[in-house]
Amino acid sequence: MRSRGMDLDEDEYGEENDDDLAVDDDEAEVEVEVEEADRGASRKRRRSGFIDDDAEEVDEDEDEEEDDEDDFDARGGRKRQYKRRDASNFFDEEAQVDSDEDEEEEEGEDDFIVEEGTDLPDEDGGMRMLSRRMLPHDQEEHEDLEAMARSIQERYGRRVTDYDEEATDVEQQALLPSVRDPKLWMVKCAIGREREAAVCLMQKYIDKGSELQIRSAVALDHLKNYIYVEADKEAHVREACKGLRSIFAQKITLVPIREMTDVLSVESKAIDLSRDTWVRMKIGTYKGDLAKVVDVDNVRQRVTVKLIPRIDLQALANKLEGREVVKKKAFVPPPRFMNVDEARELHIRVEHRRDPMTGERFETIGGMMFKDGFLYKTVSIKSISAQNIKPTFDELEKFRKPGENGDGDVASLSTLFANRKKGHFMKGDAVIVIKGDLKNLKGWVEKVDEDNVHIRPEIKGLPKTLAVNERELCKYFEPGNHVKVVSGTQEGATGMVVKVEQHVLIILSDTTKEHIRVFADDVVESSEVTTGVTRIGDYELHDLVLLDNLSFGVIIRVESEAFQVLKGVPDRPEVALVKLREIKCKIDKKISVQDRFKNTVSTKDVVRIVEGPCKGKQGPVEHIYRGVLFIYDRHHLEHAGFICSKAQSCVVVGGSRSHGDRNGDAYSRFPSLRTPPRIPQSPRKFSRGGPPINSGGRHRGGRGHDGLAGATVKIRQGPYKGYRGRVIEVNGTSVRVELESQMKVVTVDRNHISDNVTVTPYRESSRYGMGSETPMHPSRTPLHPYMTPMRDPGATPIHDGMRTPMRDRAWNPYTPMSPLRDNNWEDGNPGSWGTSPQYQPGSPPSRMYEAPTPGAGWASTPGGNYSEAGTPRDNSAYGNAPSPYLPSTPGGQPTTPNSASYLPGTPGGQPMTPGTGGLDMMSPVIGADSEGPWFVPDILVNVRRAGEESIVGIIREVLPDGSCRVALGSSGNGETITALPSEMEAVVPRKSDKIKIMGGALRGATGKLIGVDGTDGIVKVDDTLDVKILDLVILAKLAQS
Amino acid sequence: MFFHIVLERNMQLHPRYFGRNLRDNLVSKLMKDVEGTCSGRHGFVVAVTGIENVGKGLIRDGTGFVTFPVKYQCVVFRPFKGEILEAVVTMVNKMGFFAEAGPVQIFVSNHLIPDDMEFQSGDMPNYTTSDGSVKIQKDSEVRLKIIGTRVDATEIFCIGTIKDDFLGVINDPATI
Repeated sequence: MRSRGMDLDEDEYGEENDDDLAVDDDEAEVEVEVEEADRGASRKRRRSGFIDDDAEEVDEDEDEEEDDEDDFDARGGRKRQYKRRDASNFFDEEAQVDSDEDEEEEEGEDDFIVEEGTDLPDEDGGMRMLSRRMLPHDQEEHEDLEAMARSIQERYGRRVTDYDEEATDVEQQALLPSVRDPKLWMVKCAIGREREAAVCLMQKYIDKGSELQIRSAVALDHLKNYIYVEADKEAHVREACKGLRSIFAQKITLVPIREMTDVLSVESKAIDLSRDTWVRMKIGTYKGDLAKVVDVDNVRQRVTVKLIPRIDLQALANKLEGREVVKKKAFVPPPRFMNVDEARELHIRVEHRRDPMTGERFETIGGMMFKDGFLYKTVSIKSISAQNIKPTFDELEKFRKPGENGDGDVASLSTLFANRKKGHFMKGDAVIVIKGDLKNLKGWVEKVDEDNVHIRPEIKGLPKTLAVNERELCKYFEPGNHVKVVSGTQEGATGMVVKVEQHVLIILSDTTKEHIRVFADDVVESSEVTTGVTRIGDYELHDLVLLDNLSFGVIIRVESEAFQVLKGVPDRPEVALVKLREIKCKIDKKISVQDRFKNTVSTKDVVRIVEGPCKGKQGPVEHIYRGVLFIYDRHHLEHAGFICSKAQSCVVVGGSRSHGDRNGDAYSRFPSLRTPPRIPQSPRKFSRGGPPINSGGRHRGGRGHDGLAGATVKIRQGPYKGYRGRVIEVNGTSVRVELESQMKVVTVDRNHISDNVTVTPYRESSRYGMGSETPMHPSRTPLHPYMTPMRDPGATPIHDGMRTPMRDRAWNPYTPMSPLRDNNWEDGNPGSWGTSPQYQPGSPPSRMYEAPTPGAGWASTPGGNYSEAGTPRDNSAYGNAPSPYLPSTPGGQPTTPNSASYLPGTPGGQPMTPGTGGLDMMSPVIGADSEGPWFVPDILVNVRRAGEESIVGIIREVLPDGSCRVALGSSGNGETITALPSEMEAVVPRKSDKIKIMGGALRGATGKLIGVDGTDGIVKVDDTLDVKILDLVILAKLAQS
Repeated sequence: MFFHIVLERNMQLHPRYFGRNLRDNLVSKLMKDVEGTCSGRHGFVVAVTGIENVGKGLIRDGTGFVTFPVKYQCVVFRPFKGEILEAVVTMVNKMGFFAEAGPVQIFVSNHLIPDDMEFQSGDMPNYTTSDGSVKIQKDSEVRLKIIGTRVDATEIFCIGTIKDDFLGVINDPATI
């Protein structure tokens, strides 16, 4: 005890001295808690102060100490703490006392000071430190107050300069701890007693003095369970902690030198919370909610924020009425604007109050203030976070009330700027100044410094570049700019700026053709066209995917974490948001299905939807799965242009591409060589077919040698699917193929081979030779004499075209001819088509179309069929019916006795245009907009009658029943006959022929064919001099007059 | 804007077309190939109007195809920013309307339609002024100003505005 007292004495000198200094040095930093200004303690201290200079009185002091300890024992740790605090508190006064008295020798070597950096503004005093440090002994005895004052003055002055110097980096660097400096140890202590532990250490130091070899102790507010002790050795720390209850010295960890500064550096509080800043709530019901600062009270550290209330009015009503409120913890009411009327309905008292400060009117409900539906809440600064707030667009939208317009927005959006990334502005960016004197000045970024952006102003007469603070700048776009979104939810999307609303751009997305709202900050100008993110994992935009629940769909949009999938539900568009894990796999099958008329549809074929909500839409098939087609129509704006439809409700337009490409396209590019595109169904298919005689079947017969032999074919089905080989022999319904890849001859069903391999003209013609057809020939042959002459005048391809559908069906229709055809007919026309006798293979040749029998057959299916015939639907039905015999069938129709009776009523054109007309009807284009009869006067036609050569003639007059008066001879000077439409065919015009248009809107107009493009003719119309692209089918050569 | 310019192209021709009609074939193939195409620099090739000259053909090894450098005159159509065009409305929806000027598709956003015109949905969606005097619907002819263009490999897409003096409907099919 004694020695302890002595130590204390010695210390006390220093202590006083030092306190004096400390006060001088760092007034502000001596944050001392004055919770209980215990006068007694103060007195006691004062006495001990006297003791200090009077060693004889040590005993007394000792007594005091004992008293203290007694007190402690009696009242427990709490009391002790207070006492110690008081004691520490006392230093201040003591120092004053000292200086007042000014008589002590001040030669303390080890001084207490409170180090800088320990200031925490809150009332409790953040950290407490004890430190020993050598101070220059600059203090001599002060005899008078003046001298004292002077010295204080001196120190204050010095301090100021000190601070200035500290500001420089180098100085700061020099202050960093090095290896030689004492180390910092982290010591565990009781939770919640960090401060107490530090204070205990301080007291112990006071008591024990230099015996304790630690330098300082630090308790940090934000660090629970630990305090820091500065000491040279771990042992010193241990020693110091010995006997202190709140400190558990078992585990002492060294803080690495590098991290030492972090321990004591104060978190920068330099967030300028100003009005209109966007913040987020950190705690409570509103945790995570966006709020707008409306008022800041820096003194009381409180802010008033504007929130969208999350109030359960019912619960509130219950509470206010004193009823039991069921606490549902998990339930957080959704944010909703407060509706005062609603509240009143629930009998909640709503008061109107005027804010005394601002004079604004608020509605007050149960102590909560509302205005315009927003909740105004005053919270501690600590309970909000103002850093890195990125309000989403939706949130901002909600905050935007009708009354508020742009200006307010920009101000509030300034928060957003604060969170801009580094390198936000790039050289060349167009910017606009939004704040300050230069507001609304536009310019381009020239250079970017730390915070300043050098811009080249748009307006002349200004300096070349101006340095503007980054925060005063905003990117600037003009409508029409093509931009790319580089951050935010729409990241990756590109589009054209449609509108600029202050800081917000409205962009028309390139892919979705939808409007996107983005912040100008989030976009950059770019010429790139992307859809944004187009793939996650294995799945890409527009992929067909199988989903978890075995449904499937096409990915129509890729969002940040999910896909939007247009489900394969044909009736209505159904879009689902699907996560990656919900997708089972990608469906990548190359399958084909049959359309409404049993035409094969494979991917990339263009189809038209003839049924359902999307009726009339047309586009290439992108995916096929389970009889459902996904069609891409670029004019369809929803669902990224995808339409889902049943295969059954679609018709192929213009032939299946997968087949159509077989023969190569080179040919068809040349009008002179190209097939006149009478038949849209793969008109090119047979373009190089042999003369019609080939198809007459004379060469055929299942004798094993037909044209197919020697041809290179590809096997489409069966175990050898995909193989290619040369046909060695044709044997009935099977062919023997020598495979290319294997030294092997295999027998394959001839239905299973296809010919989409390199074409040889030889094979082309041979294609007609099909053994399996033999039985049909009787029925077909008559057709040919009848049809063939019509095509003789160089029109061979037509004939081939006619036959195309046959082949398009890939052999199949051939073999089981009749039944299949019947099916088809049933498909296309309900009714008795299939049973019509004219289809019987054995029906009389050539006459069959004019024979009364079929007429009767037609008659037996009266009205219904025919009246429908004129409707577009049925027309297209005809057009697409795959049976090769189709052409002849409609041809037969009008020739029946009945025809005239129903013709006039059906402008569908079909019955009026037998023969070729029927063929023409196969063009969906025509079928769709067929308007009126086919033939028009003054065109050249080939007139053929059964058994006669075809003769060129000029139509002079079209009679009401569809037949025409034709003047024979190419100049029309021969005899005039009346010909049935079925006996006539318009002469196909060639390039630079004068033509007459037989259908469509321009029907009857004359013009000149200036070019031919596939199945289209480019026509310069005489009257208007317009250049039109018209189907060749509706063009006929005009007779020279 | 339309331009009449001379372009060059290397045409590949299959040997089977060599003969009397080689030149014709070449020309028709050229027309087939280039008419209707679109390039970012020149825009749409509307029509080939003539052949300047056909260079010497070069036979390709292996294929037998012959490459002819062909210089041809053609009319091209290229929309420009700021250009005023007349177009036919093809589709109207709540976001605006699409119009076509020849091969060029132009979108006029509802933000770029005068504020007094409002979208009316229904069978025939349209934009109508409050007094009903002006109506934009499908097949209306409008005069618009192009404010932005985007050029793809196969099409040019433009954004237009009718929010300016002397722009808007010039011919309404409904009133005819």
